[in-house]
Amino acid sequence: MLESLFGSKNRERVLIFLYCRREGYAREIARFYKTDLDPVQKQLSRLEYGGVIASRKAGRTILYQLNPRYVFSAELTALLKRSLEFLDKPERDILSPVRTRPRRKGKPL
Amino acid sequence: MKQISRMTMGELGAYVSSHLAKRGIKVVLSGGACVSIYSTNLYRSDDLDFIESGSSARKQLKQALEEIGFKENHRYFQHPETRLFLEFPPGPLAVGREPVKEVVQKRYSTGILRLISPTDCVKDRLAAYFHWRDLQSLEQALLVCSRNQVDLREVRHWAKSEGMADEYAKIVRRFQLLQGRPVKPGK
Repeated sequence: MLESLFGSKNRERVLIFLYCRREGYAREIARFYKTDLDPVQKQLSRLEYGGVIASRKAGRTILYQLNPRYVFSAELTALLKRSLEFLDKPERDILSPVRTRPRRKGKPL
Repeated sequence: MKQISRMTMGELGAYVSSHLAKRGIKVVLSGGACVSIYSTNLYRSDDLDFIESGSSARKQLKQALEEIGFKENHRYFQHPETRLFLEFPPGPLAVGREPVKEVVQKRYSTGILRLISPTDCVKDRLAAYFHWRDLQSLEQALLVCSRNQVDLREVRHWAKSEGMADEYAKIVRRFQLLQGRPVKPGK
């Protein structure tokens, strides 16, 4: 959908994933789209270098998110939000945020 | 010419900046290096983030830097005589979502350095504090404010345009005290 604008299908996927899920790591994004890890990592690296996304470490995992300090952050977010309107409902649903609030260890759920 | 190994951050920045200008590449220093310069090294940074005003090819930049002994290593440029390294993040030159309006020039024996103003440097650090809750960035902003003239009215306008007026209101008193401004009771 935004591939021609972003120049790469994987770059579009990464941005849409991070917009919907708030944050994510390379393997998680690659698994979600059933694609290879390497091109996803490449796009994450390029976007981070450009300041579009930012990363932080959580243990041994590098978590990425859209960079709120990116100069075109508001415009990019608006574009990604608009693009979601064109996704099929099932795809939009599976992209909806996953649980991030704490869950007590050992809880039978 | 002073040896690169003996240059301070400001001197090295001026040397690189002037050399690049001779090759038609105009750059402005931003980021932690400006905190270092404005705090007279009370805050130490090892990297110089230059933002290019134009859009020259990476190859042209690399060639110009090689002339003064800098070699590209991944996305950084290093010199064998100094621990300080250079980075050229893609622009535009901005603080938060706002373009930088004023560029300051500082003259050193090694050349002329173009860098963001103390006011923009404070905004830049505050952007990191507001968005990442990074207390180190707040301390750096205070450090710059304690040693330079900072336009706090301008900072307040900027914070408002970033949607951070309430956050700024919580810390403004600390900045006002550093600038020797009268603090209104209850504010």
